[in-house]
Amino acid sequence: MEASLDLSRWRETPKGVGARRWTIIVTGLQHLLRGRVFLILTIAAWVAGLVVAAFGFLFTQSVATDGWLQTFAENLGPRAEAMVSALGGLVTLYPDICIHGVFTFAFWIHSYLGLGLTLIALTMVVPQLIARDRASNALTIYLSRPLTSTDYLIGKLGIIAGVILMLWTGPLIFGWLTSMMLAPDRDFVVYSLAAFGHALLFNAIALVALAAIALGVSALTRVGRVASIIWISLWLVAGTMAKLPSSPSWLQHVSFSYDLSQVRQQMFRLDEALAAASAQLPLLDQNLVRNLAATGTKAAPTDFTGALIGLALLTIAGSAAFLRRLRSE
Amino acid sequence: MNPSATASPPPLPPAPGPAERGGDFIIETEALGKTYGTQRALADVTLRVPRGTIGLLGPNGAGKSTFIKCLLNLTTPTSGVGRVLGRDIRASQRESREKVGYSPEQDCHIPGMAGCEYVAYCGQLSGMSFRQARQRAHEILDLVGMGQERYRLVDTYSTGMRQRVKLAQALVHDPEVIFLDEPTNGLDPSGREHILRLIGSLWRELGISVVISSHLLQDIERICDRVIIIAHGRLLEHDTIEALKNRHRRIVEIAPAGETDRFLAALSEAGLKVERRSNGRLRVESASDSIEWVLDLMRVHNLPPAEVVANPNALHELFVQALAGNGNGNVANPSLHGSKP
Repeated sequence: MEASLDLSRWRETPKGVGARRWTIIVTGLQHLLRGRVFLILTIAAWVAGLVVAAFGFLFTQSVATDGWLQTFAENLGPRAEAMVSALGGLVTLYPDICIHGVFTFAFWIHSYLGLGLTLIALTMVVPQLIARDRASNALTIYLSRPLTSTDYLIGKLGIIAGVILMLWTGPLIFGWLTSMMLAPDRDFVVYSLAAFGHALLFNAIALVALAAIALGVSALTRVGRVASIIWISLWLVAGTMAKLPSSPSWLQHVSFSYDLSQVRQQMFRLDEALAAASAQLPLLDQNLVRNLAATGTKAAPTDFTGALIGLALLTIAGSAAFLRRLRSE
Repeated sequence: MNPSATASPPPLPPAPGPAERGGDFIIETEALGKTYGTQRALADVTLRVPRGTIGLLGPNGAGKSTFIKCLLNLTTPTSGVGRVLGRDIRASQRESREKVGYSPEQDCHIPGMAGCEYVAYCGQLSGMSFRQARQRAHEILDLVGMGQERYRLVDTYSTGMRQRVKLAQALVHDPEVIFLDEPTNGLDPSGREHILRLIGSLWRELGISVVISSHLLQDIERICDRVIIIAHGRLLEHDTIEALKNRHRRIVEIAPAGETDRFLAALSEAGLKVERRSNGRLRVESASDSIEWVLDLMRVHNLPPAEVVANPNALHELFVQALAGNGNGNVANPSLHGSKP
C-alpha cells in the first residue's frame, strides 16, 4: 500500500478573519436548515411576514381613491363602503394616531410570533452552539486554526443572530417594506417609521439578551440534551412561575420571557397608542372608547426598569458562563 | 549474508537542507514552562528545532501534549517564549497558526458533518475558499486512504477512520508544519503502515515538517530524522537520531543462518563481548560504527551468511537511559507500547 503524494499545493494568501468567522456562521445556519423543524419554523416566520405585508397593504388601501379596498367594499354593500370611507377619513385626518397605532399593533402582534418562533428554534440551536463542540472536542479544532476564541464566539453569536434574522427581523422588515412600497401615500412611511423603529429596537434588545443566555446555557454542559432542558426550564418553567400572581418580583425577573414581555410593552407603548386613539379620535361608540382605554391600561408596562435589570443580569450571567468555558487569549 | 539488509530501519533519502526550505527553525522556545496549579507540566524547555520529521518522545504524562498545546497556544504557557515558523505564539495568535496543522490525540470532530464536509470546513477555517477547500479535502482524503466512507457522518466512523480524517484536516490547508499527537492510535496494522509511510513522505516529498508525538519508539525511529525526548516536563534530549545513536554504545546484532556456535567462537576469539539471546541472535558490543569488521570476520572464518543489524533498539535503550539519567531510573521498562490512560 503506497501513499501517493500527488497533491495540488495551496500557496495563496489565506482569506481574512472576517471570512473565517462568516464560514462558521453560514455553516451553522446551513446545518440548522437541514432540520425539518427549523425549515417549518422558517416557513411559518415568512408566512407571518407575508401576513404583515398583506395587512399593511390592506390598511394603506383605505385612503386610496378607487383603490382595491374601496372597490371590494362597494361590492359588499353601502354599509361596508361607509366603514371604509370612515376609516379612510380617520387615517387622512389623524395619520399620526391611526397609522402609528395600527402599525404598532401589527408589529406588537408580530413580535409575539417572532419571539415565539425564535425561542423554539433556540431550543434546537442551544445544544449545537458550544455544548456539542465541547463534547466532541471540536473546540480544539477551531482553536488550532488561525482563529481565536473571540472569533469562535463571534461565529456562534452570528448563528444566533442569523436565526433571529431569519425568523423574526427578516419577516418584519419584509412585511413593513412591502406594505410601504405598495402604499399610495408617503405619510404611511413617515408615521409608521417610529413603530417600525421600536419593533427593531425590541428585536435588538432580545437578540443581545437571548444570544448571551443561549450561549451561556450551551456552555454550562457538554451534553446537548441537558443544555436543551436547562434552556426550556429557563424559558417555560421560569416563565410560568413568573406569571403566577403570588410570585415575588425577583422570581419574575429570573424569567427572561417575563422580562422581555415587559420590555416589549415599554418599546411599543401600545397603551399610549390606544389612549391617544380613545381620547382624540372622534369615535361615536362610547363603548369602543372605553374598551380602547381599558385595553391600553392593561398593555402598560408595570416594571420596565426591573425587567431591564433582570435582562442585564441574565445577560451578564450568560456571558460569564460562556467566557469561563473558553480559554482567554 | 545479506549486507543490504544490515540497517534497521532503512536509511531515509536525504531531506532538503534548511536553506532550500526557508532556512529557519520551525520551533524555537526559550524557558517555556507551564504549570497547572502546583503541578509543573513543562519546565524551562529551551530548544530550536530545524525543519524535518521530528519525533517527540516521552512516557505517559511526560508533557509532550502540553508542549504541543503551548506551541499552538491552545494552552497558555506560564513562562518563557515560543515561536512557531518564526512567529511568536503569544503576540501573533492567528498568524502563528496559519501554516500549522494539528491532529490531536483525542477524538475531535464537528458533529453532524460528513468526512469530506468536515475536512473542507477545516480548510475554510484556515482561510481557503470553499472551492479550493473542497478540492483539497478530496485529494487529502484520497491520500489518507478514505474511500466512499468520506460521505458518511464522522460520528459514525471507526477509530481508525477518525484517525485518518484527523490527519486529513491537519493537512488540508497545505501547512508548513504539522503536529501529530499519537497519530497511529487505533489503526489496524495495514492502516498504521499506510499512515506511517504517508507521514514519512510528507517532509521528503512535500517539504511539510512533521512533529510527531508518540510512545511507539519503532515508529519514531522509522520515520523521523530528529528526536526530542521529554520526561516530567523537562527536555532530556534533542538531536538527530544518527547523532543520538552514535552517542549510544555501539551494538551489533547478528542472526546467523546456521553454525551459531562457530560464530560465537569466532567473536569470542576476537575478544568481543558477546551475548547469546533467546531468539538465537548474537548481540555484540562493537568498538566501531561500521559493520565492516563483522563482514571481515565472517570472510576470514568462512562463516555462513547472517543478517547483521547495527544498533538495534538503540532508541529504546537511549530513551530508558535518558529517563534514568533524569532520576527516573525506576522506569526500567516504560510503557512504550501501551495506550495512554
